[in-house]
Amino acid sequence: MGNAFIAVLMGLPMTLLVTVVAFAIGAIGGIPIMLGLRLRFAPLALLFRFAVDLIRGIPPIVWLFLIYFGVQIGAVRLSAFTAAVIGLGIISSAYLAEIYRGGYSTLPKGQLEAAHALGLGRATTFLRILTPQAMRTSLPSITTYLMSLIKDSSIASTIGVMDMVFLSNQFARQNPTTSGIVPFFIAALVYLIVSIPVAVLSRRLDARMSRNA
Amino acid sequence: MDLAQYLPRLGQGLAVSLQLTVISVVIGYVLGTLLALGVSSRRPWLHWPCLVVVEFGRGIPALVVLYMVYFGLPSFGVLLENFAAAAAGLTFTVAAYSSEMIRGGIASVPKGQREAADALGLAPATTFVRVILPQGLRSSIPALMGLAIMSFQGTSLAYSISVAELMSQAYQVSTITFQYLSVYGVTGLIFAAISVPLTWLSVGVEKRLARGAR
Amino acid sequence: MDQPLLTQALDLRAGVEIAHLKKSFGDNHVLKDISMSVKPGSVTALIGPSGSGKSTLLRCVNLLETPDSGTITVGDTTIRAGGALRAAELLALRRQVGMVFQSFNLFPHFTVLRNVAFPQERILGRSKEEAEERALTLLDRVGLKDKANQHPGQCSGGQQQRIAIVRALALNPRAMLFDEPTSALDPEVGVEVLTVMRELADTGMTMIVVTHEMHFARDVSDHLVVMADGRIIEEGDPKRIMSDPRQERTRRFLSAVLDR
Repeated sequence: MGNAFIAVLMGLPMTLLVTVVAFAIGAIGGIPIMLGLRLRFAPLALLFRFAVDLIRGIPPIVWLFLIYFGVQIGAVRLSAFTAAVIGLGIISSAYLAEIYRGGYSTLPKGQLEAAHALGLGRATTFLRILTPQAMRTSLPSITTYLMSLIKDSSIASTIGVMDMVFLSNQFARQNPTTSGIVPFFIAALVYLIVSIPVAVLSRRLDARMSRNA
Repeated sequence: MDLAQYLPRLGQGLAVSLQLTVISVVIGYVLGTLLALGVSSRRPWLHWPCLVVVEFGRGIPALVVLYMVYFGLPSFGVLLENFAAAAAGLTFTVAAYSSEMIRGGIASVPKGQREAADALGLAPATTFVRVILPQGLRSSIPALMGLAIMSFQGTSLAYSISVAELMSQAYQVSTITFQYLSVYGVTGLIFAAISVPLTWLSVGVEKRLARGAR
Repeated sequence: MDQPLLTQALDLRAGVEIAHLKKSFGDNHVLKDISMSVKPGSVTALIGPSGSGKSTLLRCVNLLETPDSGTITVGDTTIRAGGALRAAELLALRRQVGMVFQSFNLFPHFTVLRNVAFPQERILGRSKEEAEERALTLLDRVGLKDKANQHPGQCSGGQQQRIAIVRALALNPRAMLFDEPTSALDPEVGVEVLTVMRELADTGMTMIVVTHEMHFARDVSDHLVVMADGRIIEEGDPKRIMSDPRQERTRRFLSAVLDR
């Protein structure tokens, strides 16, 4: 049992790394997509809408295989890690763009009107008045998404990224005498434990926001 | 093999994916409702075990659940074929997620509904089954539709325990044709062709429900 | 308050001219050919039943609503409806006119001080120190200097509305628009706000006020405009109209409102 524990834990850094890098890509990539969704020029906005729906309509595992096996520059392929974070990053951008957009759409109309009435320019209104409030509103959804991304990072194991699930699989196959469920059970507990700090942070942010509202 | 030749294979895989989806959604939502009731219950012997099951189901990646069922059940003497194992694993995950959505829906029913029913003299059980639950489920419909679409996409994970669904078929075909980009591209589009219109439909349903609620 | 709320010279106040303004929302003709003249330094109260178009008219003055046809003149700036409005023109107009909303619309993520200082920095180009000093002075005039470092959420409705008035005044507007400023406040609290508005009127600010506060309309305004169904049905001296309305519609409206 102890061996299984160590074997699985060795995959934790990779699990976290994949999560963090994919999230970073998504958090940043979501911004241009969100701006695209909010464009006033309807045909382009619809194009972005379609792109977001398409990205979210394809399962992560298919994305990962597509990028890992399908992308070839000359004779060189992307490493499994790179393919995984790019794939998860693209998916995250789409989801986070939607979350960002939701933050703006729930803003009271009066904020925009007050900024207009004062004569603040469009850029100032967007950056200094609307965006801070939109981000505050979206924060709970963003942390919820991060928690789901920690779990989705496990899909990277299917293309060979050596995270907890990959190593659990490896352990199970290499140790037929130990019940196969053991490493996965340990991995499951680690996933649960890791999500606790994020859940606590999310609840604290929630409380702080309701106080300031 | 070109596109026309391997499309039927993908079609077979799609059929399996859809079967898995239907099983996990139908059974999962029923179990989810029971779990929701269990978690909402004030009896500790019901509340805590149900809560643990739900938090476990929601906190663990679906892939891990699949592996646990696949590797784990044989140790307990239960030998399921891969399809059944996948169905069991996916059902568990769907049940856990749906229970939270249903619980939220039930909780969102205005308190006044219960009070009115009590004032009329309706028995608590009747009130719950005929007044609260229908409204609660109705509120959860958009979220549950979204979950159904997610679980359809989730069947792709069954690839990892060798179930011959769409993703597995795509993998098999790709190892034969080596046309990775086109094979996985087409597979992705097949998934999207079902997920995207259903998502638009569920948004439409959500808007219609919101209007009708007034 | 011994000192005036503003130190602007009175001749910088602008008048507002509205000529043949029309506005429809789909089939709903909200404004059916409105012409109105607001003299510089005067206080005009706009009253009438709900749906009469008074708020829409007010919001056309600073172009929060775009009229379908007609012209709006604030000071020397004239905007002709129907043509394409350039952003620069729009900003120029809005920066001359201040607006106070029914729901205050303070920026919740800024402190009270920043709410009043930030627009000054951006629009008047004042430095942070200048803007904050001016902000504190104005907040002090309305008795809210101690709220400077709090957030709007920590202030009562009446306090928030007074802060909103100060936020607009800090930009040295040439006219001020008030859209039902006390409708969202309890009557006792509304008095705080009406007092500030009264003082502002005394300094000679051009004001157009959409309101249900009949006492304010009668005692503070110089000119009363009564609207119904998208038209001006009566206008003139407030005291005269309220004691002896010429139009039947006005009579009905006033008796319903004043009976309360």
